[in-house]
Amino acid sequence: MILLDRVSKVYGKEVAALDRISLHVEQDEFVIIIGSSGAGKSTLLKLLTREEKQSSGKIVIGNIDYDKLKDKEIPYLRRKIGVVFQDFKLLPNKNVFENVAFALEIVGHSNREIKHTVPKVLNVVGLRGKEKRMPAELSGGERQRVSIARAIVRQPKILVADEPTGNLDPRHAWDIIRILEKINRFGTTVLLTTHNQEIVNKLKRRVVTLQDGRIISDKAHGEYT
Amino acid sequence: MRRDRSIKRWLITVYRLSITGIRNLFRNAWLSVAAMAVMFVALSILLFTVVLNVTTSNAITELSRNLKVSIYLEDDITNEQRFELETALASSPYTADLEFISKDDARARFVENFRDDEALLEGLFLVGDDSLPASYEVSAVSLDDFGNIEVIALDEQFDEAIESITLGRTDARATIERAAQAQAFITSASALAAIIFTVISVLIIFNTIRIAIFTRNEEIRNMKLVGATPWYIRGPFLVEASMYGVISGVLAVVAVYSIIYSIGPNIINQDEFRATYEFFTQPTVIILALIATVTSGIVVGAFSSMLAMRKYLRLKHW
Repeated sequence: MILLDRVSKVYGKEVAALDRISLHVEQDEFVIIIGSSGAGKSTLLKLLTREEKQSSGKIVIGNIDYDKLKDKEIPYLRRKIGVVFQDFKLLPNKNVFENVAFALEIVGHSNREIKHTVPKVLNVVGLRGKEKRMPAELSGGERQRVSIARAIVRQPKILVADEPTGNLDPRHAWDIIRILEKINRFGTTVLLTTHNQEIVNKLKRRVVTLQDGRIISDKAHGEYT
Repeated sequence: MRRDRSIKRWLITVYRLSITGIRNLFRNAWLSVAAMAVMFVALSILLFTVVLNVTTSNAITELSRNLKVSIYLEDDITNEQRFELETALASSPYTADLEFISKDDARARFVENFRDDEALLEGLFLVGDDSLPASYEVSAVSLDDFGNIEVIALDEQFDEAIESITLGRTDARATIERAAQAQAFITSASALAAIIFTVISVLIIFNTIRIAIFTRNEEIRNMKLVGATPWYIRGPFLVEASMYGVISGVLAVVAVYSIIYSIGPNIINQDEFRATYEFFTQPTVIILALIATVTSGIVVGAFSSMLAMRKYLRLKHW
């Protein structure tokens, strides 16, 4: 599903954010990527969403070889990958329903399709009844749920979550993790980066540890060490 | 990578981009008003220049039509000489109309024109009823052609046939020439003003879109991250700037036609303005003026926003 082969990302001439990373993630896997700040977690996810381009190495997702990807094809790649951000990145002038609907609007879904799909997804993330609320009227946990709903509404095969619990209190953080687990059970591959030791240890999922741009451990049922 | 290109989805997308563009116009209300105000001035001047140009051209043509060269004939002119002169004048490309006034016709006109002036009529009786010469009255195709007609008449072959030539009423001719000069000046000045205001309009719209891009920088980034194509991001800016053109264009037509309709009834009785007023108030012409003005506005708006997007909306480097 996701294959990274000796992938490096170097900023400028010397600063290597990632150094010959090799990683293979199967379909339906739930992988947690941990590491201290500056270890390269966010850079890794940015390479997958093509916010950044690798300096060397090979990235393949499904049947898409990133080396052969043209600039004009990048939007279509992003439509296949759901992304959840630590700072939510919601559109502030759109309400909950419109923020989620936006992901369907840009691919040309009809209003009827949108009205049919969005409520179902909001139900999955527990936001039923809050469709009309603006982002400013929501708690951090609720905003993150909107962000997740937007990421999964197109039913992507891969969901990338970059520290989605970073700005949340423990109770809301666990709510978000439960939602991500639910999405994973539906068949979506989940890549989650986090600093939260408790979440990592309780989830008992595959844990990849990054340090100074390198993978220092990759354990099937890892723990935060 | 597969791309969905179905027409239905394309139409839905165009509709959404248009709605977003119009909403953005209201989000930037004050900047939009400033951009539209300048464009309104530019388009009004442009349309007014056209109206003014057509009006003065028609007026000059109408005045020129009433101006005639009178070629007075010698009393002893032979039929052959008269025929040759008539043939030369009639075959000239500068002649619009040619009329022979016999001595009897000249006398009848004189009597008609001065029927209330008994002293003058008595004078005519004293010098003899046939004292007025026969003549040709020639209308020229354009104001510049009177000189050419004079050249034909002054040819030496007609020396013995022609008594004198009068180039219409000299004050009328001078007035027409001044009108023509004024028309050229007004057209040039208006065109220059239209160009200046169009350039200012382009700069203001450019700046409005630039500010809009900066204001929505984070929003644009989010749109990119969820898979919006460059055109999906550009579309609303293009629609917004084009809407400036549509609104300004409609307002410019309303303003210029308000002037036409308010002045029109006062000048419709004058021959030189009637045709112009009737021309511009035809429904077809009003619709064409509206289409042309709005299209010009859309072109200026779209061009300005494209310039701003090209400079500030960097979408190539994802």
